[in-house]
Amino acid sequence: MKPEELEALKERALKELSSAKNLADLEALRVKYLGKKGEITQALKSLKDLPLEEKKTVGAKLNELKEILEEFYKEKKNSLLLEEEDREEGIDLTLPGRKPERGALHPLTQTIEEICEIFTRLGFEVVTGPEVESDHYNFTALNIPEWHPARDMQATFYLKNGALLRTHTSPMQIRAMLERTPPLRIIAPGKVYRCDADVRHSPMFHQVEGLMIDDKTSFSDLKGILSFFAREIFGEKTKVRFRPSYFPFTEPSVEMDISCVICDGKGCRVCSQTGWLEILGAGMVHPEVLKAVNYDISKWQGFAFGLGVERIAMIKFGIDDIRLFFDNHLNFLESFK
Amino acid sequence: MRVPLSWLSEFIELKKSPEEIAEILTLSGHEVEEIFDLYKRLGEIVTVKILEVYSPEDLKEVVLCKVTDGRDTFTVLTSAKDQVKPGLCVALAKPGSYTFSHQKVEVKEVKNYRSEGMFLSPFEAGISEEKHALLTFPKDVPLGRSIYEILNLEEPVLEIAITPNRGDLLSLYGVARELNLITGWELKTFTFDKALLEGEPFSGEIKILEEEGCFRYLGRIFRGVKVSESPFFIIKRLFLCGLRPINNIVDITNYVLLEVGQPLHAFDWKKISGKQILIRRAKPGEKLLMLDGVERIFTEKDLVIADAEKALVLAGIMGGEESGVKENTEEVFLEAAWFNPKWIRLSSQRHRLSTESSYRFERKVDPEGIPLAALRATELILKIATPTGFSQLVDLYPRPYKRPLIKITPKKFAKILGFEIQKDFIIETLKKLGDLQIENETFKLIPFSYRQDLEIPEDLVEEVARLYGYDQIPDTFPIAELKAKAPTLEIKTERKIKELLKGFGLFEVITYSFIHPEILEKLNLSKEDERLKVLEIENPIASHLSVMRTTLIPSLLEVAKFNATREVEDLAIFEIGKVFFPEKELAKEKVHLGILLKGEKKLLPWEGYKRKYDLFDLKGILEELFSALKLEVEFRPFSTEPFLKRGFSYDLYLSGIKIGLAGAIKNFILERLDLKRPVFIAEVNLSEIYNLLKEKKKPLKIHKPPKFPSTFRDISFLLDKEIPFSEILSYVNSLEIPYFEKLELLALYEGPPIPETKKSITLRFWFRSEERTLQDEEVNTLQDEIAKKIFEYFKAIPR
Ligand SMILES: [Zn+2]
Repeated sequence: MKPEELEALKERALKELSSAKNLADLEALRVKYLGKKGEITQALKSLKDLPLEEKKTVGAKLNELKEILEEFYKEKKNSLLLEEEDREEGIDLTLPGRKPERGALHPLTQTIEEICEIFTRLGFEVVTGPEVESDHYNFTALNIPEWHPARDMQATFYLKNGALLRTHTSPMQIRAMLERTPPLRIIAPGKVYRCDADVRHSPMFHQVEGLMIDDKTSFSDLKGILSFFAREIFGEKTKVRFRPSYFPFTEPSVEMDISCVICDGKGCRVCSQTGWLEILGAGMVHPEVLKAVNYDISKWQGFAFGLGVERIAMIKFGIDDIRLFFDNHLNFLESFK
Repeated sequence: MRVPLSWLSEFIELKKSPEEIAEILTLSGHEVEEIFDLYKRLGEIVTVKILEVYSPEDLKEVVLCKVTDGRDTFTVLTSAKDQVKPGLCVALAKPGSYTFSHQKVEVKEVKNYRSEGMFLSPFEAGISEEKHALLTFPKDVPLGRSIYEILNLEEPVLEIAITPNRGDLLSLYGVARELNLITGWELKTFTFDKALLEGEPFSGEIKILEEEGCFRYLGRIFRGVKVSESPFFIIKRLFLCGLRPINNIVDITNYVLLEVGQPLHAFDWKKISGKQILIRRAKPGEKLLMLDGVERIFTEKDLVIADAEKALVLAGIMGGEESGVKENTEEVFLEAAWFNPKWIRLSSQRHRLSTESSYRFERKVDPEGIPLAALRATELILKIATPTGFSQLVDLYPRPYKRPLIKITPKKFAKILGFEIQKDFIIETLKKLGDLQIENETFKLIPFSYRQDLEIPEDLVEEVARLYGYDQIPDTFPIAELKAKAPTLEIKTERKIKELLKGFGLFEVITYSFIHPEILEKLNLSKEDERLKVLEIENPIASHLSVMRTTLIPSLLEVAKFNATREVEDLAIFEIGKVFFPEKELAKEKVHLGILLKGEKKLLPWEGYKRKYDLFDLKGILEELFSALKLEVEFRPFSTEPFLKRGFSYDLYLSGIKIGLAGAIKNFILERLDLKRPVFIAEVNLSEIYNLLKEKKKPLKIHKPPKFPSTFRDISFLLDKEIPFSEILSYVNSLEIPYFEKLELLALYEGPPIPETKKSITLRFWFRSEERTLQDEEVNTLQDEIAKKIFEYFKAIPR
């Protein structure tokens, strides 16, 4: 076989292979060129009649051509296979998937976890405490003696054994301080109870209490930490405002408002047209409270805060009736998956 | 507290709009909850024109008017029959609105004549004292418009939430004084004329017999007073503040209370026996019929104002019916006192009686402001009730109020605030709070007597910071030790359980800690059951929330019921919460986990495959949960719980201690609760688990990839239905089979053609050696040996 003939064969074979439309055509061409009786095989067989020198050069060229065609065939076959797979008819892809079961945590649990997570990051220790409390821990140790009008702010459930249901998470401040030595940072979530019920009040609800005692923790720090908290939980753009307030167990006392998330501070029904939503009460721990746990008031100072979990969850999730949380209707719970 | 701005402006020049004043007060710690126009709040009171007037024969005192508001026509009955005539424009209060004297206007029917509202007099419209004439408008007045818009009248009122420490703000003058402190707007003071006259000698006797209860007592007699209706400006202001007018003397005491915050009381002097006013403890069992019509019985802890014979007034709280000022009263004794706030508070609570007066005494009145209140009342009585004479003002003040001395340094301000406020500002502010002395670097402040909330240095820090503006103080992050404790095992485990159960497809619920005592009875508990020994709430909000729960089961069943009546029959829920048992002092609180499965389990909904929950769904959830917690919990069949179906229940044991229950609720209980069957429930005492977890934990068994292949053999046989699977399992484990790896229950079948007393079982035994590949022959031998032993032991029939 002459070099020109070889070249012509190569060109023809490649052209035919590349124009194969399907796997059957391609197979026929493989047989035609590379099969036992194919043209290349035949040509290789006819080498034996050639003189040695020619046998070497033509043989090398033929083998080279065989490899090229085999490689080309493989590639062509792969691409035809791919095309064929792509043409395969599928199933109704719009059907829903076969889902593993997945429930949900209660929105209040989710909110508590989120609040605690923010403070845990800041090195606050999560603590818990009893829900049935004594008058001492719930009131007196918090600078609310029996005759104090501030008791009006917290309608209390009493038990027949003389104990009461804690009206706020603040007793955990007292317990935590008694169990520890300063400096300390605690965050204490839990259920609290007050005897009133309507669209905005539930006889049982949740609070999270925070307390930081150190030798220099100041009012500015209180502002810094709580502003940080507000932005973490309600978003970076949240504006906060601090208003003077009164709690018997803090002095100075503050309430923190955030810019209304519904109207963006422009004023709406939810924020009573003020543009602000009150979310927590706080203050510098009152010296009487520190004295009640035998802390040296000339050395230790710090801040405490308490926030209503339902209030925050209602703002976050846009819920207008507190009772939904305790009805536990499945449709409601499923919203928080 | 309601603050009508028209009244407030008598004491301070208001230089801003109501909204701006509200903002100023709010940002200074006195939250303005609402700004409203009292006129608007009355409802729809509009201009109408009378179209026709009828005088039906069967109506005598009234006539019927047909009126229009420009759009619709109404019929209105009115007794002003001499005044109404067609074409007259009058004020109509529509049904649902209120007159200025708090009378609700409703649709009325008199002998088939319908009256859709009421024509108002200027008095009932709150505009003037005119009661008899109707309020009329020019003929061309626009119809259907608010009369207050037409007359261009408004009465803006601020509703301020005064914090309990600021009793000094429970008055118009107090709010004006605070606004002056915040803004510097000029305060207007009271001026007196005749009230400053000495008066006649006091013709009776006043004695403070209990100095702990009464710190100061002022009194004065007025002779020849004319008790009648108050002038309109007083009536109007009382209404604006939500009080009802009674008569001019009583109204003046209330008016002064609102004005300066000092409660006053007026007695009919002629009713006072022995001309003696005694301030003493009540005698045990002493009774008094009081102004609210209720007779109360006092104890020695109550302070009363008495005459020579009997108690007349529950001091500082409410007066007696008998000695009060009425139409025929001619001589009035006026009281202005300062009672011990604690006594008043406790008395008021004991008798569940809170009044405008007790509310102010509890929050501390100004001891030095009492004469001012007495003079102000004198001035008004002289002007309005025109007495023929009055006595001197008796002032008993045995232990004068001693104002505290508060010392503070600028350093203290900086330490608490974390920020240095300019010294000048501090000094300027302190001067407005009391008498200030500066010694070296120390401020010494004696606060004004009305600022009894200022007691300690921290109080002054708050005052200065508040007037400086909280928002002017920077936000910083504390510098603290970089140290924090990990959450406790309890907290971590509870979180883990919640996450696992969520992953198993359950929804968490949160229910009230209090339950209905009856639901515990419905659970069929025996009398000795400790879950019946509940903690009762003294003052429950309702009977269905009257005891603390001792189990979560009632709460979960309530949720199931709530959902079932609202179209949700299929439920898989859990709750982690506390249960409460009585203890000497507080309560024994335990954390429980409750699980409830009910209705159908949704599997592959679009392939149409659904099935009811069964016991093994519940058991599987618990098994997986305990496995994840590395706890070997034993499921002992046949729970002893009286509310669970015996054959479908377990008691759960851990290290020999009962930690819970699981099973199907008995049908009759479900019927009692009106719930569809079946309902599966589990309750686990997590507190017990936490205790055991702290003691020991099952170590992890680490499996490496096998080096040699495993092989299995199946054994099928029939055996007695009664033999539980657990027995087969423990028998197999006792055999100590060589190379035995694990056992699987491959098939379980009961029913034809298997005999009725039998069940068919196929077990798959897995074998593996760590050293080599097992030979078929040796495994066959093992299979034969095992089969033989099982068949013998259980009298089973090979299949
Ligand atoms: Zn808003």
